[in-house]
Amino acid sequence: MSEQMKSLEFDVLVIGGGIAGGEAALNLANLNYKVLLVEKELSIGGKMIMLSKVFPTLDCAACITTPKISEIARHPNITIFTGAETRKITKIEEHHFEAIVLQKPRYVNVTDCTGCQLCEQACPVSVSDQYQYGLVGRKAVYIPFSIASPRAAAIDIENCTLCGACERVCPTQCIDFTQTEEEFLVTIKSIVVATGFDLFDPLKIPRYGYGTFKNVITSMQMERQLAPTRPYNTILRPGDGKMPDNIAYVLCTGSRDKSLGNPICSQICCMYSVKQAQLLMGALPMADITIYYLHIRAFGKGFNEFYAQAQDMGVEFVKGKVGKITEKENGNLILRYEDIEQGKVQEAEHDMVVLSVGVLPNQGISDAFENKKLELDPFNFINQADILASPAKTSIDGVFVAGTASGPMDIPDSILSGGAASAETTSYLRRALL
Amino acid sequence: MKQKIGVYICHCGGNISDYVDVEKVRQSIEHDEGVFLAKTTMFACADSNQKEMVEDIENEKLDSVVVASCSPKLHLLTFRAVTERAGLNKYNYVHANIREQVSWAHSDNKEGATQKAIQIVKAAIAKVRNAESLEPIKVKATNAVAVIGAGVAGMRAAIELAEAGADVYLIEREFFVGGRVAQWDDLCITEETGKELITRLYDEVMKHKHVTLFTGAEVVENKGSVGNFTLKVKVTPRHFKLNCISNELQKAIDVCPVEVPDEFNFNITTRKAIYHNYPSEYPQLPAIDMKNCTRCGECEKVCNSIDFSQKTEYLNLKVGSILLATGFDPYEPKHGEFGYGEIENVVTFPQFKRIVHYCDDKLIYKGKEIKNIAYIYCVGSRQVDGENKYCSRYCCTANIHTAITVKKKYKNIHNFHFNRGIRTYGKAEIWYDESSRLGDIYLQSFEHDPPVIEKRGDQTFVRIKDILTTNKELEVVADLVVLVTGMVPRKDNSIANLLKIPKGRDNFFNEIHMKLRPVETVIDGVTISGASQGPKNIMESMNSALAAATKSFELVASGELALEPTVAKVDEQSCDWCGKCEEACPYSAFDKIEKDGKFVARVNAAVCKGCGMCLPVCPVNALDLIGLTDEDVESMIDALIPTV
Repeated sequence: MSEQMKSLEFDVLVIGGGIAGGEAALNLANLNYKVLLVEKELSIGGKMIMLSKVFPTLDCAACITTPKISEIARHPNITIFTGAETRKITKIEEHHFEAIVLQKPRYVNVTDCTGCQLCEQACPVSVSDQYQYGLVGRKAVYIPFSIASPRAAAIDIENCTLCGACERVCPTQCIDFTQTEEEFLVTIKSIVVATGFDLFDPLKIPRYGYGTFKNVITSMQMERQLAPTRPYNTILRPGDGKMPDNIAYVLCTGSRDKSLGNPICSQICCMYSVKQAQLLMGALPMADITIYYLHIRAFGKGFNEFYAQAQDMGVEFVKGKVGKITEKENGNLILRYEDIEQGKVQEAEHDMVVLSVGVLPNQGISDAFENKKLELDPFNFINQADILASPAKTSIDGVFVAGTASGPMDIPDSILSGGAASAETTSYLRRALL
Repeated sequence: MKQKIGVYICHCGGNISDYVDVEKVRQSIEHDEGVFLAKTTMFACADSNQKEMVEDIENEKLDSVVVASCSPKLHLLTFRAVTERAGLNKYNYVHANIREQVSWAHSDNKEGATQKAIQIVKAAIAKVRNAESLEPIKVKATNAVAVIGAGVAGMRAAIELAEAGADVYLIEREFFVGGRVAQWDDLCITEETGKELITRLYDEVMKHKHVTLFTGAEVVENKGSVGNFTLKVKVTPRHFKLNCISNELQKAIDVCPVEVPDEFNFNITTRKAIYHNYPSEYPQLPAIDMKNCTRCGECEKVCNSIDFSQKTEYLNLKVGSILLATGFDPYEPKHGEFGYGEIENVVTFPQFKRIVHYCDDKLIYKGKEIKNIAYIYCVGSRQVDGENKYCSRYCCTANIHTAITVKKKYKNIHNFHFNRGIRTYGKAEIWYDESSRLGDIYLQSFEHDPPVIEKRGDQTFVRIKDILTTNKELEVVADLVVLVTGMVPRKDNSIANLLKIPKGRDNFFNEIHMKLRPVETVIDGVTISGASQGPKNIMESMNSALAAATKSFELVASGELALEPTVAKVDEQSCDWCGKCEEACPYSAFDKIEKDGKFVARVNAAVCKGCGMCLPVCPVNALDLIGLTDEDVESMIDALIPTV
């Protein structure tokens, strides 16, 4: 380790600033523990901040997430690193861990940036916007999204041409191309892993045509189209900008499918699809929505009632697995599917198809542990060492897991799991005093 | 009167501005009396806007603030905190709801919605003009928590609270701890038995000197409020001395002439009036069920440990917070529901679990060996005609897991699952897969077309129109029919009535907000956990128990709480105690006290929620609400009436 590396000391390191990590951090900070929250994206808020409304209450996700995030960002006991990675975690002894936190350069001085967006207007480079899931473009200098925290610009150096246009227009001179990677040696007593999940990449199912057929999109892309910070301000099919009026949902895309290496159910797709169907009926009152499903997993509090509500609203539910999607010349799509109730293979035409993609483990964090093994379960989620009595416990004493890092779960369950992780961390920290 | 009011009107990213012309609202109020600054904003609650508000308050020296956005339920506290950060007393903030009450309610009439929004914002401005700075009510908090219910959730919460540093009273109504999980054998996921899990938790509970366990104990009275509850607990004696000798004890059980259905085994067996729960029950001391004991005295003759002189005791416990972990009841099918109570080989899922527990090499029920088992799912859940519209969440997985266990434990078992769409969510999918591979047969129907059970001769038939085989009518001869019953709220929920805990549409306890405050209730200081809140499996119950423990601990840890000062106040001069306010109060916040030679009402400010129920019933108008006085309301009504 280099001599110049800055040292930092906290009680707890929370890895991942989504809703579960945020909840754990906030609970711990409220009990006066000093927390370092490390987030690899440019904003905290995880996947939830990107969503439209959330089931089964149809609360606006941004309205729930932003104040929580604001509370986390302001909390005197919480220090946040965004655009940062945790590496080389070593357990020295009980209640004593060390980790390297790598702060990647943002090339913007966050404290001076006012979020005025003049740099965005000046930047000549346009690339696909990852925070809008590729639906629209963004500049090489950009504010991740309008409700990001911190709401500050960042430079995507891979795509930046170093033309200097942003520097010239910035009223606070906060652009700084001299920034370099910075490593911090962090000493902590305990760790909460809340690294969330990845979405299934439907390119792995070529027969569904995602990436080839423009009007086949993922549920996350539909989520962005329905969100208050939506890119088009209405629902459009990407192929030709037409408003769709006959939308199909293909459930279990990438879930419950051993051929894709993911035998388990993703737990959230049924409900978010039912929710999107309800929101679409509001946004496009004339549109027909069909959901192709195997079983509707409406199991949580108020979920089954929410599913019944969608049926009453006129959402069509077809029990059957979609085998193949083909494209017509006009951009419409033909779904070939097994109609279980009719007992035969059928075809149906839709003008837009949403693939309800599943939840996959966000792998990699276990590699950051150096001298102790953070064990994974058979599906590569973080293994819960004592799942029934202490669900947040992992294979390493003092390291706890929160949210979807341990398996698929919905928002209410993730928040409860964040609460559980903070509780177990609290009692672990208390034992250090005894 | 405020002179420098700042007004912020929120787009809510389209939630409001799609239906309300927010710029028009801004223009309509910017010249109102006292308004110094009026802005619109994309998301008022976003961090960037909060920063801007703080800067405005500081730079422009604003003396009060109105935000017109969503329901105050969501963000009243958010914006109060903003004003506080800017150095303003937070009661100089007023919230106007133009989303739930306007844009969402009038999406069909944009012009009308905009007009309504204008009036609502004007009313908020009228209110803020009279706003006064208030200080919170400070109360000391006792660093102790009462955990009600010693099932897995309650025991886990108790352990966590004690480890965090609180004193814990763990109060269990039954004579034995463990709740429902004690009644189960192999548990899903770990293959640990229910008994083993209970043993682990009980040992931990007993290890902690900060946890005091009461069994046979029930809360019968509650006084006080958050920070300072005083609970009266009735402790029923078990009529046993601690040092009992086991062979004497067995003799006592043997001689007891009373035989009643054993609830621990869901009434498939009987027990005596002196009883154990099971051989390794906790605490490891039997109890006498005085409801059924005839006091014949036979047991006393053979066992010295029996002590009929033990008396019911009442304790007063002082706690800062109450954590409810009262669990659920299994759904009890109605007589005749899928043959229950009429056909002898129809049992419920919990009964089936106990039958499997007692059968070693052969599965035998009522003397007959069982080979064909028909499981009927969703009994008592997802009801079409009944009240239980909800899914009970755990039953698909729990039943399939049990069906696999049965198939592996006994020979020649054939499982037939009559389901409505299997919901083995998440990783539980692997059991559904495993059972299919083991040859279990799944037959499915929709809610409105459930399977039919019929007794013909000495055989029981289950018939279904199976949608998995294009609606063919299929029939299975079943040796045993298992009704896969769901979870329902506890029949005896007196504790909820005592504490006035609100219930949801499903009749389980309701949280304040499923995502923002999932374990807190509107009764300050009372948290909820486990299946008392809705169906949950063990892991999910544990998560909620731990989350609730965190919230309860946060309340008591600091030793002092700041409560809302917006409560009712009594004008003692005009009050001449009549008791109407006390009757109207849903929170029991009123006391009758003697003052200057007459009786008057007194408000317990720590209990009062400022709901205003008492105001209209007072015949002499002696009551007012701090922060929402009659004068405030009148000025708001004036503002709400559009000037033509």
